[in-house]
Amino acid sequence: MSVSAPARARIEVSGLAASYAQGPSALRDVTFSALGGQAIAVLGPNGGGKTTLFRALLGEIAVVAGSVAIDGHTAYVPQTERARLDFPVSALDVALMGAYARTPWYRRVAENDRRLALDALARVGLEDRPRERFGALSGGQRQRALIARALVQDARVLLLDEPFAGVDRISEGAIMEMFDGLRAEGRILLIATHDIEQARRWDRVLCLAGAQIAYGPPATTLSTEVLEATYGAEIVVLEDGTRAIAVQHHDHAH
Amino acid sequence: MRWLTDPITTPYMQRALVAVALLGVAGGLLGAWIVLRRLAFFAHAAGSATFPGLVVAGPWGIAPPVAALGAGLAFAGLLSRLTRRAGTGADAATGLLLAAALALGSVLASDVYPSGAGVDSLLFGTLLGVSDRDLWLAGGVAALALFSSAALARTWLATGFDPSGAPALGLDAARGDRLLLVLLAATVVAALPAVGALLVSTLLVVPAATARLLSGSLRTLLVVGVALAVAEGVVGLLLAYHLNLPPGPAIAVVGGGLFACVLAARTIARPREVVA
Repeated sequence: MSVSAPARARIEVSGLAASYAQGPSALRDVTFSALGGQAIAVLGPNGGGKTTLFRALLGEIAVVAGSVAIDGHTAYVPQTERARLDFPVSALDVALMGAYARTPWYRRVAENDRRLALDALARVGLEDRPRERFGALSGGQRQRALIARALVQDARVLLLDEPFAGVDRISEGAIMEMFDGLRAEGRILLIATHDIEQARRWDRVLCLAGAQIAYGPPATTLSTEVLEATYGAEIVVLEDGTRAIAVQHHDHAH
Repeated sequence: MRWLTDPITTPYMQRALVAVALLGVAGGLLGAWIVLRRLAFFAHAAGSATFPGLVVAGPWGIAPPVAALGAGLAFAGLLSRLTRRAGTGADAATGLLLAAALALGSVLASDVYPSGAGVDSLLFGTLLGVSDRDLWLAGGVAALALFSSAALARTWLATGFDPSGAPALGLDAARGDRLLLVLLAATVVAALPAVGALLVSTLLVVPAATARLLSGSLRTLLVVGVALAVAEGVVGLLLAYHLNLPPGPAIAVVGGGLFACVLAARTIARPREVVA
């Protein structure tokens, strides 16, 4: 196993509807496909279904209609603020969590997995801080440690939940560069964001507002109509008609 | 020297010392997870919730551990119902049920099944009451805590660190949480004879909270937590013997005093650091 040479990944989602236990569908009519090497922005307001889509792709909630086919191991990279910063874990401990599922309960984490975790940390630029406490890292470094954890899982599909929240500009650039590297290796990145400008940077954009509003390349997909349908009255379209900002409070209650 | 040898040569104290050492192993290990997972208030309330069960155990002819477990399970069931169905916040629901359990136990003990001085033993523990069954129970939970800490540490660590991401790591977070709560309930029941319903936190929370101030890694937290829980239990028992106190409060005083000293020393050494 290696953290740097995965096989080509693929996702096919058709007519997906998903719901939480005993509730109505939280998300419906989602149809899109992606191939290894693509990065897809999952754009929408809070409560629009971004996290619901991720949980459905991970098999954590019921798919009540449609189908999901994923070729490649899937990993979830949470927002760094969702992780407990006061926990006694180092960056290496966090990366090693990616190997927990394949470690029998009666064994220590294998030496090979320890090497993989160190490689993954080097890959995300944290090679000099494996012993640093996770809570003492900067927002961008914490995000990178969580991505290292996904690499140790050998994930070919990465579901990234607001990866730039709480990350400074310099780290944002470093993470963008790292994403380019991951795409070049044939991985698929799904990047949940409520930031329209952020969504323009990726290969495809999937707009969600309880149901799929649109899917396609950002240049043709992010029209005023689509953005208004996605964000409703919260959207502001600037003079030239191409730049738009979603006005909303960001919270974690998706 | 006789301060030490007198109690050690007394048979009932020997049993109490063995029990508290075994409970220290369970309490220290489990306490680390209770503190990390912010379950300290829940643990305290679960202990107090056993009080009405203990009061009716004698009159109803039920073994006290069984009655305590029954009361603890009723507490857990009601708590789950209040938080999930009625939408009451977990803290508020826990506080409400804690008050209800203590009130119910008090009414039962004073008006329905007058228990006299026995109530003190139920609430604060006793040096005299450690039976063979209590020792076996203490040994059982110590063994279970050791085994679980080895087998489930990774699941508990990953789930506590990042609850939303743990299932995607391929870990059964829900099962891990259920086992943690079952083990917590068993340890509470086992600790009742020694420290009483009101002070199970002295073994399950205080040593681990002190260890948290001294430890940067999980391994040291577990090791220091166990060492402190055993040491505080033994010193507290000796104090209880000499001062004629129930063991629960004596252990609480030792544990609380040590926590305060460590916190003060840490604050002097690192005045700017905020305690997590």
